[in-house]
Amino acid sequence: MKVISKQDFNDFITTLINDGSLDVHGVKAKDEKFVFGELESSDDLRLDYDTTILPPKKYFMPQYETLMKCSLKSPFDIKEKKPQKPLVLIGVHPYDIIAINQMDAYYCNDDVSKSYLDRRKNTILIGSDVLNIHDKAFFGSMNTGQVENGYDLFLTDLDDKVVIEIKSKKGEDLLNKAAMVREASDVEKQKVTAIRTAAQGRAKRGMKIEPKQWYSLLDQNYTSKVWKDQSDKCLACGTCTLVCPTCFCYDVNDEIDLKGNSKRVRTWDGCLLRQFSEVAGGEVFREDIKDRYRHRFFRKGKYLPDRLGFTACVGCGRCSTQCIPDIADPVKVMNLVFDNSETFIQDEDKQPKSISLDAIEIDEDEATPLHHPFPATITKIEDLTEREKLFEIELDSGEKLGHEPGQFVEVSIMGVGEAPISIASPPKRKRFDLVIRNVGEVTNKLHEMKKGDKVGIRGPFGTGFDVDQYKGRDLLFIAAGLGLPPLRSLIAHVLDKDNRKDYGKVTILHGCKEPCEVLFDSEIGKWQEIENVNVLRTVDRCPEGECWDGDIGLITKLIPKSNFDQKNTFCMIIGPPVVYPFCIQILLDLSVPEERIIVSLERRMKCGVGKCGHCQINNLYVCKDGPVFNYKDIKDLPEAFE
Amino acid sequence: MKPKIAFFDFASCEGCQLQVANLEESVIDVAEVVDVVEFREVMTNKAESYDIAFIEGSITRPIDEKRLKAIRKKTKTLVALGTCAHLGGVQRLSNQWSAKENLKEVYPDAKEKDINKNEFFEKPHHKAVDEVVKVDYVIPGCPIDRTEFIKVLVALIHGKKPPIPDYPVCVECKKKENICLFTIGKFCMGPIARAGCGAICPSHGSECEACRGYISHPHERAQIDVLEDCGLSADEIMHRKTMFTYKYVEKEKEESK
Repeated sequence: MKVISKQDFNDFITTLINDGSLDVHGVKAKDEKFVFGELESSDDLRLDYDTTILPPKKYFMPQYETLMKCSLKSPFDIKEKKPQKPLVLIGVHPYDIIAINQMDAYYCNDDVSKSYLDRRKNTILIGSDVLNIHDKAFFGSMNTGQVENGYDLFLTDLDDKVVIEIKSKKGEDLLNKAAMVREASDVEKQKVTAIRTAAQGRAKRGMKIEPKQWYSLLDQNYTSKVWKDQSDKCLACGTCTLVCPTCFCYDVNDEIDLKGNSKRVRTWDGCLLRQFSEVAGGEVFREDIKDRYRHRFFRKGKYLPDRLGFTACVGCGRCSTQCIPDIADPVKVMNLVFDNSETFIQDEDKQPKSISLDAIEIDEDEATPLHHPFPATITKIEDLTEREKLFEIELDSGEKLGHEPGQFVEVSIMGVGEAPISIASPPKRKRFDLVIRNVGEVTNKLHEMKKGDKVGIRGPFGTGFDVDQYKGRDLLFIAAGLGLPPLRSLIAHVLDKDNRKDYGKVTILHGCKEPCEVLFDSEIGKWQEIENVNVLRTVDRCPEGECWDGDIGLITKLIPKSNFDQKNTFCMIIGPPVVYPFCIQILLDLSVPEERIIVSLERRMKCGVGKCGHCQINNLYVCKDGPVFNYKDIKDLPEAFE
Repeated sequence: MKPKIAFFDFASCEGCQLQVANLEESVIDVAEVVDVVEFREVMTNKAESYDIAFIEGSITRPIDEKRLKAIRKKTKTLVALGTCAHLGGVQRLSNQWSAKENLKEVYPDAKEKDINKNEFFEKPHHKAVDEVVKVDYVIPGCPIDRTEFIKVLVALIHGKKPPIPDYPVCVECKKKENICLFTIGKFCMGPIARAGCGAICPSHGSECEACRGYISHPHERAQIDVLEDCGLSADEIMHRKTMFTYKYVEKEKEESK
């Protein structure tokens, strides 16, 4: 540890500010509160702050971030971002550094976000001990009053001097700009320890449970009355998520200006907001405020621990400070849940193994701009019905998409946006098919496009059908409405002459509202002619004057008629949300084992890589863990079939 | 061909059109992409038909309804411009009294014979534009935000749905790192008011009065609880709820009948 006099420290900060090659930001006053912002002089820096309005996440994931820019005339000529000056960020409290470490784990796990990593690497992070404790802070209860890693330098302000811990080479190099740095004495080191211990001990606020107990407590209290009681007062304004250092969800929108330039902008989003879970068709998957309110706590205490191994609350107290009806405070809410929990058993076996945030290995070569689409060309358009068209698409790179049946892509039109679309063709072909109903911005625009037009493609994404698992078995396909296109990717694969021998009897049930909505009529006719394939079709109603030779009634009526072998069949269901509970129940009544029921679910898949948070079904990410799920794995998830 | 756009004013202060007239350097870019064919505030031209008609003001009298319906017939797209057209404006508060009472209050010295059977004084009662004709899109706000006007215009030219947010003002306010007015003893409608203004009032220390209306599913009960907790009386809360959004109160009254 080093020590520098206050005067020399201030001169050091002045040197950094005057050094034109650096952006120097730190904690400063905003009226009676504090914010991180650009320092204009060393006097601006307020290491005596209690907490800032927004956490420093805004530096790594800005409120508004342009992901890419282009002219609409040449949408794939994406302009590169200019390199930024290195950022020196001064005065970050330990709990906020831990939140940034968690953010590292989130954004640099699996699909590594290049823009995030670039910003993070471009920052010299200087921590600071908490000298004044905010009355809502409870980092003492979350064990986040001290931090071991994630920073370059760490300051402890001792009034007339500042103790500085050097953590990295980057930090050491920066400190070389300071004059008169000496080694800290034992007394000075003891003072630092005393300040830390005092802060950790004081910022507790009577939280009744340990951070590691959040998991079991929440696990056992999904139906606690606390969620409803508290959310009755919730404004659903999103504040608690926006000011939270460990809320990372975002939305992406396209903007066009008067000159015909377009940009794709990422912005903070929050699960408390209604449209967070709204899909293009208008369904909102967490309509009830209670469900949104509960989701926030479960994400912090159960879902992220499941996925990444840490409790995603660092006890900063920002949500409690800024929630107007005062219902967002984790101390109050977790204590309420605890008090209302009849029995509470700390279940060590169920607890996810906690990871050391030290241990995160980031494969920097893996970092990619997660939202950049690849150019592709529409090679064919076929009108299927009044509302659906089939688009055949080829990547301009000439490569195969390389998907598995059941996966999806993000189709992108610059200036308009992206939409997740299931792939409707088998993996074998070089080009791939998308069946698109015009229900939203992107899909409306697609319907106006012509053969030869360009679109952007990202993907393939998600977990598709496990074609090997079904080998040697019979297959029952239940396709309701627009469920047929994604199932077609598997049906066509199974019925392909090269693969047909691997599978037994194939039964295809297809239902839609009226005969005019039938998709792939002639193709279904061809499937029917293949040996050991049985097709049954139904419509809800047949208006006068229309031709129909199939059944009339709901698709559920076809299941008992289909004569499949319950003991040896995998059953795949895809359709609108309403069909799942009914079809599944009939299959279970017919003694089909749970693990042989396979479903594909729709949610708002915005990023496709498990980052933006929109498509979550409880702890699962539909865009990564799904969209194809084994019923057995999700049957107990309350949000799966609501 | 450039789309033909036109502006029309009804009962209003014409401040929203002024926002458009004051677009400054953007005016040239706007003129590049559209033909302004009718805009009384800045020119005298008239046109037979329009691609986009922007309507400012609340609709007050039978003659206004007639004029508005005629505009609707001549335009492909109709956009309500600003709070008066969107919700009926502050003047809608006068709907609490009868037309007769209002006339007496405003023109106390007018002679009965001048007012009676005069179409300019016939049954004044404020309505939002969508209560008279079909409205395709709304640009909310008192006054409208110039940047948002351009965003909507560009969206319409490109055949996109105008990007009017359906989340509360709090979202924009938080992103700006403003000090929440509730934490310094003030109170605002931000938690249920529709964003898109960039939280301009709270950013300058003024309370939001929901001039852009509410989000589509406001948790109104929770908002009233919060205002009560701040010590506001039922009257004061009603005042907050009616300044720009008396339309909702009227609707509530109608529904409870």
